[in-house]
Amino acid sequence: MRSCRSLRRWEVMQMLSKLALRNVKRQVGNYLIYFMTVSFTVAMLFAISNVIFSENLTVFIMLMDLKQGLIGVVVFICAVVAFVLSYATSFMLKLRKREFGTYLTLGMTRKNILTIFISETMLICIGALATGMILGLFIYQGMMALMMNLLEMEFSIAAYSVKGVVLTVCLVLGIFLLASIASAVYLKRVSIYNLIHGDKRVEKTVRHPWIWFVITGIALISMIVSVILFDADLKNIVRYGHFSWMMPAFFVFAVSVILFHMGLSKSLIYVLLRRKKMCANGTNTFVLRQLSGSLSSNSMMMGFLAFLLTFTVIGANFSFLQKASQEEQLNNIYPYDIMYTDNTGAETGEAGVISREQAEKIIEKYVHIQNRRPFSLYTSGSSEFYTQIEGADNDGKVYTDCFMKLSDFNALIEPLGFEKVTLTDEYMLIANLPRVEAINWEDFVYARNGITYSLHSVESGYPTFCSLFYYVVLPDEAFEGMKVEAEYIAYDTEDHPYDAAALKEELTYSIPAEYEGYDIFIERCDYTLREYGRQSQNSTNAILVIGALFAAAIFLFMAMAILALKTLSSLSEDKQRYQILYRLGADTREQSRALFHQTFSFFILPFAVPILMSIPTAVICRHIMEMAGMDILIQQIPAIASVIAGVMVLVYLLYYGATYFIAKRVIVEPNL
Amino acid sequence: MNEILKLINVTKYYGNGSVVTKALDGISFSVEKGEFTAIMGASGSGKSTLLNVIATIDRVSSGDIYVDGQHLPEMKEEKLSAFRRDQLGFIFQEYNLLDTLTIGENISLPLNLKKVSASETQKELDHVADILGISDQLSKFPCELSGGQRQRAACARAIITNPALVLADEPSGALDSQNSKTLMQTFTMMNQSLGSTILMVTHDPVVGSYADRVLFLKDGKIWSEVLKGGRSRQEMYHEILSVTAALGGDADVI
Repeated sequence: MRSCRSLRRWEVMQMLSKLALRNVKRQVGNYLIYFMTVSFTVAMLFAISNVIFSENLTVFIMLMDLKQGLIGVVVFICAVVAFVLSYATSFMLKLRKREFGTYLTLGMTRKNILTIFISETMLICIGALATGMILGLFIYQGMMALMMNLLEMEFSIAAYSVKGVVLTVCLVLGIFLLASIASAVYLKRVSIYNLIHGDKRVEKTVRHPWIWFVITGIALISMIVSVILFDADLKNIVRYGHFSWMMPAFFVFAVSVILFHMGLSKSLIYVLLRRKKMCANGTNTFVLRQLSGSLSSNSMMMGFLAFLLTFTVIGANFSFLQKASQEEQLNNIYPYDIMYTDNTGAETGEAGVISREQAEKIIEKYVHIQNRRPFSLYTSGSSEFYTQIEGADNDGKVYTDCFMKLSDFNALIEPLGFEKVTLTDEYMLIANLPRVEAINWEDFVYARNGITYSLHSVESGYPTFCSLFYYVVLPDEAFEGMKVEAEYIAYDTEDHPYDAAALKEELTYSIPAEYEGYDIFIERCDYTLREYGRQSQNSTNAILVIGALFAAAIFLFMAMAILALKTLSSLSEDKQRYQILYRLGADTREQSRALFHQTFSFFILPFAVPILMSIPTAVICRHIMEMAGMDILIQQIPAIASVIAGVMVLVYLLYYGATYFIAKRVIVEPNL
Repeated sequence: MNEILKLINVTKYYGNGSVVTKALDGISFSVEKGEFTAIMGASGSGKSTLLNVIATIDRVSSGDIYVDGQHLPEMKEEKLSAFRRDQLGFIFQEYNLLDTLTIGENISLPLNLKKVSASETQKELDHVADILGISDQLSKFPCELSGGQRQRAACARAIITNPALVLADEPSGALDSQNSKTLMQTFTMMNQSLGSTILMVTHDPVVGSYADRVLFLKDGKIWSEVLKGGRSRQEMYHEILSVTAALGGDADVI
């Protein structure tokens, strides 16, 4: 009896798996977009998982941050991918609801249908996993090449990691599981009637389209105004170190992008339908009405897709710009290879402190010192400059002014390619903060040892030699009677890479201190290493660029996949409508044209504004670079923006092309 | 009187190899301008196939079809589309109105495809809507109308281009008896007042009785023909019933 029952169960399972396999074969066209998306997602997950566990990247200690940063990015992206693929899977389910409804009327249980559907999805996922992993092998090498380039390390073919493969499979299984749960919930709840007749449901007409039209207009104005305010507020950041409009402008912009696309989806067709002359031409009315239903019912989705794509454009542009500006920033922050700052009393022989002689010996182990340029900062004990600076005494403290000898200053700037400065009874104010530069110093004079020094200039273009937010350069004779505040040495070393992290570790020491009554040890290093800064920035930039690119690529593919699946899910209804058109005398060309207009308009709506956003993004980046004095980079900005926009357009064309040809094959060609 | 439709020895096969079905078997007949002709027969007799080949939705295997002097089997796809648009009007059992378009837009669609100007289209739309009594329904969507109203809208769409031939496939199939009667009165009005030439496929003797002439199909051949002549619709109905009975009886004999 039991064997008979298990035999029957086996037969049922065999029948269901046969059905699933046949369905996959039959639905190849419909599943193509789904397959493409899952494959690409797997490829990206495979590549990033292997990057995370790559042995090539474990060279630097600071790359631990990178690994954690990337894991964070992957987890976030996986959550988005899981959501979108669940959405995509439910589309695939809805695409075939009539078929599943028929199975139910024939006596199949919902469990049977779910088994069929999940088996089919699993077959697709296994195929996509294999394809994606093969594709991922190449993407991984590309990603590693980019990563190595960002880290200024030499690229060699990177080994694949078992952990990376396992992580990919686990992530894909997790995503598949979530998608299956979403399908199961839908199949459990939906009625047979809705499965069979659901596609006959007529789209609801938009209520108050004129209100939506006004909202669209307001959102458009808000978008423009917020971009202008954002751009204008950049000056506040650079000049005064704070912003007033930037965050509200950013928020308003995000909301406006969503509302603009929602409003446009709900009102555009209504407005166009009022143009009788246009509507009377060929299939225009038909196309507009086709779009009317799909756009108005998907207006929220359009808004969010546009939001996603807009921030893909902005994020990708800024991440590349960050990398491009790195060298300029390094030159400004680290003008010399190694900078010594005597801020600890190293000369006093305090316990645990590494002396200068010891430190130089340690440095020589890593890199040869070519030049030493000692200089000092002096103080007169007064705060005449300090009190001129607005808001400088906010914390109630008054700091004394610091001065640098003109001869020291010239000795520092000349090797860096700057012209020698001459001061005749003048002072030069070095402003390391924009708000210091913003003050009017024209009328301010400084008296010292019976000489009055007037303003020569306020300078912000020189590199940072010390961490003060301002200091004053005076002729050497003014320093009589001043006390040394701090001593510095700027070192030039041989130009070759070395293990800066290890050197920094060796130069770091602990000194005892007291904190809230407790005896503690503080770690301190008196040397600033340019190479260490470069490597730190490299890893930060690598996370930023790889993370932003990965997120941008995934968001782009997900957005395109949703648009494609949305279009394909209504093919059965569209097919009937195009058949009526055919009978009424619309030839194949007319039908193809109508289908093109319909699908292209649907695809372009959430895509056009984000792509156009490349222009204001490039303009804002240009302004940032101009204000930061990085003129060389300004020329690179249009190229970066164009490449990003170009790649996005390519992906768009790939998805749109695939969708259009599948739709044409299903809708137009059978009429021939 | 001149011939609008002429079929000469039309044959249509489906399938290939060993499994071939002969849907139309050497059919020949003609329809005069302004004539209202019905085609009746049992399921599978070839009624719909006949309508489809005349409608150029399907190709004949052999034989000739002429509509208003144009030889259809020779026409290329692009010309056939223009032919359907300009010369034929369609009325289907399921109305075939586009659910996304308003009734007015549905009726205007053939004129839009012909690239007729917006003002001319509006004029024609108002005219046919007035004749068919659906002027108040133009801004509504098909789902907001009753079956009878939808079928009248389909009639309006079929005649708005003033086609040479109106083809109707079971037009009353989805209607109740009252709406069916109203629709047939509309057909009669279209035929008598507007001079439309109508070729209608039906299996309903009541509907067939409104026609001037009924052709009976059996196994892809014209089996019999009934002409109304000067008889009343009631007499025509009884004649159709008796032919249908004979048609069925004959089938039983076979």
